[in-house]
Amino acid sequence: MTMLLRLASRNLWRNRRRTLLTLSAMVVSLALLTLSLGVFSGMLVDILSSTTEQYHGHLVINASGYLDDRDMYKNFTADPELLQALQQDKAVRGVSERLRGFGLVSHAESSYPAELLGIRPEHEKSVTKLHTQLIAGIFPTDTDSAGAVLGSSLAQKLGVSPGDELIFVTQAADGSIGNDLLTVRAIFRTGHTGHDNGLVLVPQQWLQEVMALKGKVHEVALAVEDPLLAAEDAKRLATLLPAGLIATDWGELMPEMREAIASFDVSRFIFVIILYFATGLGILNTIFMSVMERSREFGILMALGLRPRQIRLIVLLESLLLGMLGTILGLVVGLLLSSYMSLVGFDLSAWITPVSYAGGTIQPRLRAIFELRNFIDPAYMLLLVSLLAGFLPARRAAKLQPVAAIRED
Amino acid sequence: MSLISLNNLSKTYPLGSQKIAAVQGLTLEIQAGEFAVLAGPSGSGKTTVLNIVGALDTPTEGSVNVDGNDYSEMNPKELADFRLRRIGFIFQSYNLIPVLTAAENAEFTLMLQGMSTLKRRKIISGIFGELGIEGLEDRRPNDLSGGQQQRVAIARAIAPQPAVVLADEPTANLDSSTAEDLLQLMRRLNQEKGTTFLFSSHDPLVIAHAERVISLRDGRLESDIQQEAG
Ligand SMILES: Nc1ncnc2c1ncn2[C@@H]1O[C@H](COP(=O)(O)OP(=O)(O)O)[C@@H](O)[C@H]1O
Ligand SMILES: [Mg+2]
Repeated sequence: MTMLLRLASRNLWRNRRRTLLTLSAMVVSLALLTLSLGVFSGMLVDILSSTTEQYHGHLVINASGYLDDRDMYKNFTADPELLQALQQDKAVRGVSERLRGFGLVSHAESSYPAELLGIRPEHEKSVTKLHTQLIAGIFPTDTDSAGAVLGSSLAQKLGVSPGDELIFVTQAADGSIGNDLLTVRAIFRTGHTGHDNGLVLVPQQWLQEVMALKGKVHEVALAVEDPLLAAEDAKRLATLLPAGLIATDWGELMPEMREAIASFDVSRFIFVIILYFATGLGILNTIFMSVMERSREFGILMALGLRPRQIRLIVLLESLLLGMLGTILGLVVGLLLSSYMSLVGFDLSAWITPVSYAGGTIQPRLRAIFELRNFIDPAYMLLLVSLLAGFLPARRAAKLQPVAAIRED
Repeated sequence: MSLISLNNLSKTYPLGSQKIAAVQGLTLEIQAGEFAVLAGPSGSGKTTVLNIVGALDTPTEGSVNVDGNDYSEMNPKELADFRLRRIGFIFQSYNLIPVLTAAENAEFTLMLQGMSTLKRRKIISGIFGELGIEGLEDRRPNDLSGGQQQRVAIARAIAPQPAVVLADEPTANLDSSTAEDLLQLMRRLNQEKGTTFLFSSHDPLVIAHAERVISLRDGRLESDIQQEAG
């Protein structure tokens, strides 16, 4: 075995140029693959976080049925003990209870429909990232009694900027028409048309008073450690909830987003296969040529007493060694490229604007994120491809008739 | 019992619709310790006979028995193992493995047999000394002269102490004085160690070195003469 390994590893370097060419093809395809998968993943994380971190949270707790019609009467009391218990779950990173109201916001002559989220700013900051997307003003604090934060398009249509006053009119829970004054504190821009056009964050207590829903909320939004595990988290947290409340993860809130992410797994697989098909043919060609050139030598080896299986093993070892070398180098180069793309990235905002997709927003940037699978999948598949590519030539070599091979000149 | 016995051996090759008879009805006995040459012009069947004796090729008819083993009763695995342990091959064009050093080439079959490094080293350095190629152990075949390469090939052939060394025109690619040296070396190994040699040649100068000249013509035995080795 040692001898066969020695033969295989030295044979690999017999035609240095050919081996290096094949090797570089392997390195380039593996490196580009890990890089593009990393950028893909980055894009998905961007899309997912664009909605979860701008609005939904990774999962929400509501009165059952609320999500179907957002009926303001399907509310519940934000029990501090429940909030505390949720906060203490190991996967939960942030908890924000919210009251939601729909109505008209007006300034001077113009009014527009809007969705108001009654929040506690410090809690909301632990779940969504709207406070990091301000284009004007300052995000209000918990002590602010009537400060509003609104989307950029809405602010533009109303012609308001921080410091201006707004009037909000809505139907209150007691049947009366509730209305009150708000002061614009800040304006956000997310790139999500719906939110930029109609979302307004207001103090929770203020909204509870306007809607005559003292102490009530419509949902508790949560941020978790790993968004991709949100469905499992939702199941676990459901056990903490009193009867009548249910937990829903982002996948259920936005099925099209879940599908987009699931289809990424399929596309990743197809992508890998297509690229490796070409690489595999290159390896096959290299090994085949080197086997054909050496048929006389294989004949000699058989004359010396090597069995066909040992001949086959030599050829397989050669392609496996080539594969391992290509994989290691490809991973190193891929890691370097991905690090660059994750640390520096590529800003495309000069050329394209954010795009809405599957309920989320694709940011105009290329940025890689590290996901182990994006390295492991292409790596083991490259190894597999090299072994497969070695198979045919190995069989060919093992089938050589020693007499014919030796006579060949 | 003879070391090698060929009984009514024939080998035909298909060539299109015709058949070429490379060997026809050859019966031959070779004893252990002989130094015999298969002589005959090109195409007379020398290589075919050597390949069959070396278990690389199978006869169309007749039987082969070497060192007490009837080839027709052995499977390919057993034949490979037999080649590994009992047959030494020397080819016309040296045929060393280019990626291995001289010493690695020589110890190749010992390694495949699973012999320990220490034992191998001892055997190989002994043989390299006997063959006058000590100091060339770490050279690759490409860095050796034809005569040196053929000595390494001899080292490889005799290292496992085979029953017989089969050499197909071993000197055909060498100039006559190198060929002369090589034949004397093989003769010395034959006399000192008792190694059996069966080689082929169509060169009268080479044939003159053999103790026994087995002449083939058109695949048939033409004559079989004992002579005073020159
Ligand atoms: N694989 C083969 N196919 C067809 N004919 C062959 C093959 N090998 C040898 N022969 C023929 O068999 C005859 C004997 O060849 P060979 O044993 O090589 O003779 P020698 O070694 O004496 O030159 C020749 O006529 C040769 O052409
Ligand atoms: Mg011949």
